[in-house]
Amino acid sequence: MGSIRRRPRKAAAIAHDDGFENLRQAFHARLESERVHFVTLSAALARADESPVWIFEDLVYRAHRLQGGAAIFEESEVAVAAGKLESAAVIAAESHADNTNEEVWAALEALVRLMGNRDSVRCLQA
Amino acid sequence: MPPEQEIRSLEDSGDDLYDTILTQPTDASQRCRILVVDDDDLVRARLTALLRNAEFEVEAASNGGEALRIMESRHCQVLLTDWQMPDMDGLTLCRIVRSEHAAGYVYVLMLTVRDSKEDLLEGLGAGADDYVVKSAPVEEILARLEVARRITHVEYSLRRSNRENRRLAVTDPLTGAHNLRFLMKYLPRELARAQRYLHPLAVLSCDIDRFKQINDAYGHEAGDDVLRAFVARAHGCMREGSDWLARVGGDEFMVVLPETDVVGANRVAHKLRKVLSHCAVATHAGPVKLTVSIGITAVEAEPEIREFSKIEDLLRAADRGLYASKQNGGNNATATSIAAGRLASLKHKGDKNGIN
Repeated sequence: MGSIRRRPRKAAAIAHDDGFENLRQAFHARLESERVHFVTLSAALARADESPVWIFEDLVYRAHRLQGGAAIFEESEVAVAAGKLESAAVIAAESHADNTNEEVWAALEALVRLMGNRDSVRCLQA
Repeated sequence: MPPEQEIRSLEDSGDDLYDTILTQPTDASQRCRILVVDDDDLVRARLTALLRNAEFEVEAASNGGEALRIMESRHCQVLLTDWQMPDMDGLTLCRIVRSEHAAGYVYVLMLTVRDSKEDLLEGLGAGADDYVVKSAPVEEILARLEVARRITHVEYSLRRSNRENRRLAVTDPLTGAHNLRFLMKYLPRELARAQRYLHPLAVLSCDIDRFKQINDAYGHEAGDDVLRAFVARAHGCMREGSDWLARVGGDEFMVVLPETDVVGANRVAHKLRKVLSHCAVATHAGPVKLTVSIGITAVEAEPEIREFSKIEDLLRAADRGLYASKQNGGNNATATSIAAGRLASLKHKGDKNGIN
């Protein structure tokens, strides 16, 4: 049986090469557009008359996707906030909650605020 | 089922000795290929870049269905898959990978945001080897993939070693031809196939003339050279990927000719005798003239094909032909019928090109 001769490169060196920065910038650009989507969805939720299941489901989809992306791009605060929104929206959708669901609003506002703060920080850094 | 598919089904059943004669190993490359499955294009791109830097060969797919299509075309040792995806999710993908027979083991690592203990258990229960949440540090993800690389390498080495052991178990070490074990395992299958499709099957029983005298006169090393030369020249007379040859004794060989009737077999026997006697074999002790005696038999027509279900009948008939050839002074071929145990009319002697 042959031996494994390959000595892996240091993980830290692999994780932060030039390509990563380009992808991280692309992810930040997505964060900005996603924030707009969440604001739009929050407006739709506020206006919704009956059980807005489709809005909750859209929130679940977007929050889940954002959570995964943010975790991979090391935006842990965003990942955690997105995870909370996903959980709240899942429960709201399953229970046919109305548009005043407190957990969803709290999680949605926290996430949008966090993403806005990130934008502000980046603008100041720029 | 056509013969090729039947052979494939033998391989699929895990009994892949036929690999040694009909197919080439498919996993010659030892580089670890990893398939990244995630519906998020940025996550895919990030993981792909990360893994290429870590010297993995990387493929990428956006859902389970696409991943399966990629895996059908090339073996991926490691599957790094997200859980929630459109069309086919990672859990379903994992179950399908585990239920299907692949060329080699696929190490599955689920990479997901789902972090509850129930999720982890469900993922492992679906067949994942490892489970890691996306919020884990990159270093941890890479470390777990190094484990995957190590395990798949060990699995590959074991599989290669097993394949080689199986090959050696059915190979004559001196000549590289198949051995008696191979003959007794695969001749019944050739016969069964012939009976099933009513296709002819022929066998040549070959014995090198005066081999003992060659050994005595020139030494065993020269005798070994003669055996090797016999196999090399015999292979030149056979159809690649279909006919095969086994050494069944000191200087005795069986040539198996699927889809061949007695006329075709006689033609092969004539060609074999011709290439063997055409020029002397170069040995350690100098050139040695070589001739061979051959017994030919074939099953080729109903009800003969259906009637004779034992290879012993086939081998016995070929041996009767061989005995007759020896009785006639060697360097000739004699065809015998299985049914009557009598010599068939197909007989040729010496260098005559034809049937007496």
